[in-house]
Amino acid sequence: MTAIEVEHLYKTFRIPHEKRTTIFETLTGAFKPPTYETFHALKDINFTVEEGEALGIIGENGSGKSTLLKIIANILYPSSGKVTALKRITPFLELGVGFQFDLTAVENIKIYGTIMGMQKREINDKLDDIIEFAGLEKFRDTKIKNFSSGMQVRLAFSTAIQTNPEILLMDEVLAVGDMEFQQKCLDILSQYRKDGVTIVFVSHDLGSVRRFCDKTLLLNKGEQIVLGDTGDVIDRYVYGGGDEAPTAGSQNELDAVEPDVKPEDKNPRWGDKTVEITGVEFYDKFGNKGSRFNSFDPMIIKIFYNAHKKVSDPVFGIALYSETGENLFGTNTELKKASIEYLEGKGHVDLMIERIPMITGRFLLTVAVHTHDQKPYDWHDKQYSFDVMPTGRDVGLFEVPCSWKI
Amino acid sequence: MIVNHLKELYDYRNLIWQLAWSEFKLRYKNSILGYFWSLLEPMLMLLVLYVIFTNLMRVQVKYYQLFLLLGIILWNFLSRATTIGMFSVVGKPGMVKKIYFPRDIFVISSCITALLMTIFESLIFIMFMVYFRIPVSTNLVYVPLILLCLFIISLGLSLALCALNVFYRDVQFIWQVLLQIGFYATPILYTIDVFPKNLQRFILLNPIARILNSARDTIIYSSPAKTEDLLFMVLSSIVFLLVGYIIFIRFEPRFAEEI
Repeated sequence: MTAIEVEHLYKTFRIPHEKRTTIFETLTGAFKPPTYETFHALKDINFTVEEGEALGIIGENGSGKSTLLKIIANILYPSSGKVTALKRITPFLELGVGFQFDLTAVENIKIYGTIMGMQKREINDKLDDIIEFAGLEKFRDTKIKNFSSGMQVRLAFSTAIQTNPEILLMDEVLAVGDMEFQQKCLDILSQYRKDGVTIVFVSHDLGSVRRFCDKTLLLNKGEQIVLGDTGDVIDRYVYGGGDEAPTAGSQNELDAVEPDVKPEDKNPRWGDKTVEITGVEFYDKFGNKGSRFNSFDPMIIKIFYNAHKKVSDPVFGIALYSETGENLFGTNTELKKASIEYLEGKGHVDLMIERIPMITGRFLLTVAVHTHDQKPYDWHDKQYSFDVMPTGRDVGLFEVPCSWKI
Repeated sequence: MIVNHLKELYDYRNLIWQLAWSEFKLRYKNSILGYFWSLLEPMLMLLVLYVIFTNLMRVQVKYYQLFLLLGIILWNFLSRATTIGMFSVVGKPGMVKKIYFPRDIFVISSCITALLMTIFESLIFIMFMVYFRIPVSTNLVYVPLILLCLFIISLGLSLALCALNVFYRDVQFIWQVLLQIGFYATPILYTIDVFPKNLQRFILLNPIARILNSARDTIIYSSPAKTEDLLFMVLSSIVFLLVGYIIFIRFEPRFAEEI
């Protein structure tokens, strides 16, 4: 059975150049028609969510994710199109909506519980559980303005999870709070999944989306780019989909290839340029050029060179740095026993990475070509960078291959 | 559509009550002393007005203390309900932007908050009634209807003001001025007999004047309410509610965007 149906949904915001907020301004400006900027927040969105299914919505900031969620939640109205929800919707767009800071913990549980759609009896029955779960037994009758923000969040969260949602809308709630709190949120989400609650989940955390969502919707500037299996959609998001990214130049037409990742700054570059590095490109598992990769995916780094005269026994090397500048890894053709007899003219050497071991973050790359005895021809120090997007929930800089034995 | 909406409101009855009750508690700072302080306000107002009007203006009205107190309490209800109602949406941007329930719940619960405050103040009035040994008459059966009309008129006004205030922030100042004018233009301090006949007819176009008249007739003077008054106030409360809802529904879809 379908739980949510979205058909040809459009949302346009009119942003006035000069906002009139009073009757006075409206009257004095009556002869000057107001001028507007129109902003298309959502354009022709279509999808359905089946009962018990979890839909992830991903996209860059400003792509319309939250607007879409608010329209489903009935908070904003669509400019055209239709949203049908056949079940009761519980939005978790923010924790602690309607908290009154001058009232006590118990009073706030009653108000917030009611707002979240709980019945009076239900709240009274669960009151003690909620307070215990939040760890606030001693502060039942304390006004919550005297609570720390952590206590307020715990109170809101333990109240919110007592609701029995049919359709749960979740916006970045997980983004707040410490690791322990995020873990609790994910546990609750798993529980709801098991109970067959229909979930619409907006997040930047691709790892969580991958873990919880059956299918995923990718938005870009308000347009529905792709809807489908979560793994495919995340690949499409991370690797840009392939159709707009330029494809790699074929090996035979190297002269025509103009690498677009060029050294940005001349200073951290040295060497006599007998062999010049003309560019470095990163290729993903689909063979497309890009600078964003899923962790644990394969990757190819192509180094383009131009040897102005014949040089023998050159060595190509790379060094990888974290964003804070720590050297993580370095290797060269000599160490990997890929000796080059001589170079002449243009060409490229490729570094094949089977599996990116880094978990998340931006990484800087130094690329160099030098003689056998370390005299640089061309050295580009930390001139290239790429981003790694997390796919799992392990933390840290890189993955250590391991397993547990119990 | 109306039936569906009423059903929806009934489903949300707990929320309406919770919002109204918590607002009421907040207004009185949730303390016993707070409740007593709040009784001081109408008492002081009564004292000042009573002294001025009996000594300086020489008003000759039977049970003038009660006449005045009832007028003040009922007018205070209108003034509070519309003021709290006017800010009920503007003052809660978090709830408007982050969760959905029918938006008129904000206004309805504000009016109930005002009603709770009025009921509380009425305790003084009842004490005065006992003190003056006002007989309990069968004419009191009209009172619920009269109060219902006052409530519905206030609700209609609040709905319109609340919606307009989201888009035009000077509505609040304009309304405060109108309330001030209304306080003197409505027979609260005086009986309408002090005016010539043709002016009286003009004053009686104000449904609040009719409500005050009927309330005083039935509660203080143990006489039946005039049919003409009852009819006028019932009709006008329907009109106020309808117009209020029409304005509210027109602006409501853009609340979350405008706040």
